[in-house]
Amino acid sequence: MKRYLKTALRFILFCVIFMVILMLLSKVFVPKDNQKSAGMEAVQSNGILGEPDNTMDYLVVGDSETYSSITPMEIWRQYGYTGYVCGTGGQHLYDTERFLAQALKKQSPKYVILETNALYRKTAYEKVLKSQLEKYFQIFRYHDRWKSLTLNDFTGSVNYTWTNDYKGYRYENKVVPAALKDYMKQTDQKAKISAINQYYVEQMIKLCRKNNVELILVSTPSIKNWNYAKHNGIQALADQYGLEYYDLNLMPDQVKIDWKKDTRDKGDHLNHTGAVQVSDWLGAFFHSKNTLTDHRQETAYSQWNDALGRYDQQIADGTAYEISHCKK
Amino acid sequence: MMKEQIIEILEDIQPEADYETCQTLIDDHILTSLDVLSLVAELEDEFDVTIPTVEIIPSNFNSVDAIAAMVERLQEEG
Amino acid sequence: MKSYVAPLYLLVFLPAVVFLYNIVPKKLRPVVLLLASYLFFWSISGKLILFLLISTFSIHHFGLWLSSLQEERNRILAETERPERKAVKAEYIRRQRWVIFLAVCIHIGTLLVLKYTAFFGQNLNSLLALAGVDWTWKIPKMVMPIGISFYTMQAMSYILDVYRETLKPDKNIGRLALYMAFFPSMMEGPICRYNDDAVSLWEGRRSSVQNLVFGAERILYGVMKKMVIADRLNIMIKTLYSGYADYDGGMMVVAAIAYTCQLYMEFSGTMDVVIGSAELFGIVLPENFKRPFFSKSISEFWTRWHITLGTWFRDYIFYPISMSKPMKRLTSKARKKIGNHFGPLIAGSIALFVVWLFNGLWHGAGWHYICFGMYHFVLIASANAVEPYTKKFLEKLHIRREEGGYKCFRIVRTALLVCIGELIFRADSLRIAMRMLKKMFTDFTFRSFTDGTLLNLGMDKHDFLIVAVSVLIVLVISIANERGICIRQKLAEKKVVVRWAVVYGLILFCIIFGAYGMNYTPVDPIYAGF
Repeated sequence: MKRYLKTALRFILFCVIFMVILMLLSKVFVPKDNQKSAGMEAVQSNGILGEPDNTMDYLVVGDSETYSSITPMEIWRQYGYTGYVCGTGGQHLYDTERFLAQALKKQSPKYVILETNALYRKTAYEKVLKSQLEKYFQIFRYHDRWKSLTLNDFTGSVNYTWTNDYKGYRYENKVVPAALKDYMKQTDQKAKISAINQYYVEQMIKLCRKNNVELILVSTPSIKNWNYAKHNGIQALADQYGLEYYDLNLMPDQVKIDWKKDTRDKGDHLNHTGAVQVSDWLGAFFHSKNTLTDHRQETAYSQWNDALGRYDQQIADGTAYEISHCKK
Repeated sequence: MMKEQIIEILEDIQPEADYETCQTLIDDHILTSLDVLSLVAELEDEFDVTIPTVEIIPSNFNSVDAIAAMVERLQEEG
Repeated sequence: MKSYVAPLYLLVFLPAVVFLYNIVPKKLRPVVLLLASYLFFWSISGKLILFLLISTFSIHHFGLWLSSLQEERNRILAETERPERKAVKAEYIRRQRWVIFLAVCIHIGTLLVLKYTAFFGQNLNSLLALAGVDWTWKIPKMVMPIGISFYTMQAMSYILDVYRETLKPDKNIGRLALYMAFFPSMMEGPICRYNDDAVSLWEGRRSSVQNLVFGAERILYGVMKKMVIADRLNIMIKTLYSGYADYDGGMMVVAAIAYTCQLYMEFSGTMDVVIGSAELFGIVLPENFKRPFFSKSISEFWTRWHITLGTWFRDYIFYPISMSKPMKRLTSKARKKIGNHFGPLIAGSIALFVVWLFNGLWHGAGWHYICFGMYHFVLIASANAVEPYTKKFLEKLHIRREEGGYKCFRIVRTALLVCIGELIFRADSLRIAMRMLKKMFTDFTFRSFTDGTLLNLGMDKHDFLIVAVSVLIVLVISIANERGICIRQKLAEKKVVVRWAVVYGLILFCIIFGAYGMNYTPVDPIYAGF
């Protein structure tokens, strides 16, 4: 028995020292700034890290539907509300939760919009395990930076300086029309949300409650991805947790999407004209809540007015795609 | 007697080995599968036995002594 | 769990099974292994576990059937006179042959239908189109339970050994079930023999500290081979093989060598993980690799690469065919006419041909796999055929085969021949393989090495550097192994600080330089698809 105890203790010591090594290495490998050149991933979404603290009125999280359908600059233009789109392509909810938690550390928005497409994404247990590992030991996420480590990585500390004018939105004006169909035919069927995804939604709800943020579910228009069964599934979830839910696929009078003009890929995602309509609705929605302040005259928010100027200029001269996608 | 005959046959097939002492003719790939084929053909001819496939196992061919023992046993079984 | 290098397997499943295995009483340990194996199988192939269960059940009963026939025969023989014995033996051989035939039909038949229907169908449809027939056969989609190629071969070796009476069938179906399903060897082998390898499966030995440490170290080594080397080469290899038309002959050479390297690292690395996993339980699985690139000839190569497959074909196809009555008659006649070297060569080559046809086909249903088998057949058969002339030639030039420059030449030559074979193996089709080979010779140039193309295939300077360093590490360890040095043993003799530093170093090497995460696409376990 004593021998096993000794071996067990040695093994525990081995593991503890190893975890310390991993933590130290993580400090070295973590990008020290949030631009692409510093090794940051998903820079369009991680631009929020460079925004001044506590300046966001709302956040949007979810998958590629978010950054294709919502352009915060339009909402700023009309109402002076500030917001950021922290979505990434094909996002799984464990990443959504991570982006949210990360953003809420420095921001205190009143609203978080959770785009519902991501709730139906299949998430394997394997991926969840990987994401947990990456969460506690960032070296697993940034290990590839061995190719570009600098002295600053060893001695410097993390300082996020960069943000992007499009606030997470990715501009696309390509038009690839969708085949029209009645994709929201009413049915009693309810699409199932997997247990893992349900767990992460609950975590996000808890996180929002703790931070005094209202979580709102929104389904942006997508003729390819959405249907009534999925709507039912989300409605049930919303009812279960007492959340507001707005399905834009069922509100064609408020968000008049023309599937021949407003999509960039046959109805999977909206393009810029579609996004403007969704953003107009979202801005008006926030306005109706009567809780947000118009910051357009505040000096602390002057960078937003500057950004709006550049945004309009770049859309006009055709460079908006490259810049909003951070192609460099 | 038999041992010397066997060593002669082996030298003819694969001269570069020391058959007096080696105990790992098969395990160390000193005799290839084709060598074994030739060997079996010669043994069957020389000692008038039939060596069935079942007998083609390393323990029967790893050394001259093992080969001799197998041949003797097969001669008795008839 | 898609592969043995997945974190779910290494960090959750395996430790859990090791833990459970050690806390239950000795008698229950094989049960833990069996249940874990079925859970493993089910997590990959789900309901298809039915195939495995039916195979196990049927092989068990076929074995008992054969054994009862054998006992019956022995009883009768004890009571018969000498002259009638031969007839009795022949009668029982006939009856046993029927049983074997049935067993083989069911098992190999299942494998054939599941694996080769699509291939058969495509060729049938091509033939029909060629003949101008208007009808095509709609090929049904087949399911593939994981490991079916491997456990079928183990089942066949079991039943054939019972038939040959070198093995007594096991009355305990649980033991046979564990032999068939043991989770480390389920996906990619090694192919075990009941007599030699199965015993330690149910000994239920407790894991010693050495088992755990050595096993873990071996697993780590395998993880390094796969994650740092095999996965890192993947994007470049995919680019070269699917877009071969855009690249010159020099790049085709790179494609051949890179894929051979990737295949070796992935397969032997997986074997390290697999054998290391078994070692954790004190179970010894047979080796599948023995430094194959130190081989001096293609024949030798196949005694060092995928060893258990080679010995299976040797024991159950090569010898049975070459030692069959008609082949032996052929050999005697031939020896009288063309001498002692060339005589057995005819029967040998026929048997060899069958082995390589099956070997090629076993790897996959496709003409390029068959071509791969034939390529090696031609290399081996022709080397055998000209052996006496080669010997004379070398003697005249006073060159010793096993030493110095000529030995080096043989090793390099063998490696290059293997690389060409692996290019055929990996190419998307036979036609493409031929085109790629043609390019290698007709369009060979060093241009792409210097004009930047090489660095544009998915690997940059850093990637090549790390691959080179890792291959060097593997080379050094291989040389040590070839000389009989066991690295883990040597390490165990050093002080604690050194041991821990080496292990930490190896783990960190994998974590930092492993090709995983956002920028990479890992290789799917190559052999698990066979």
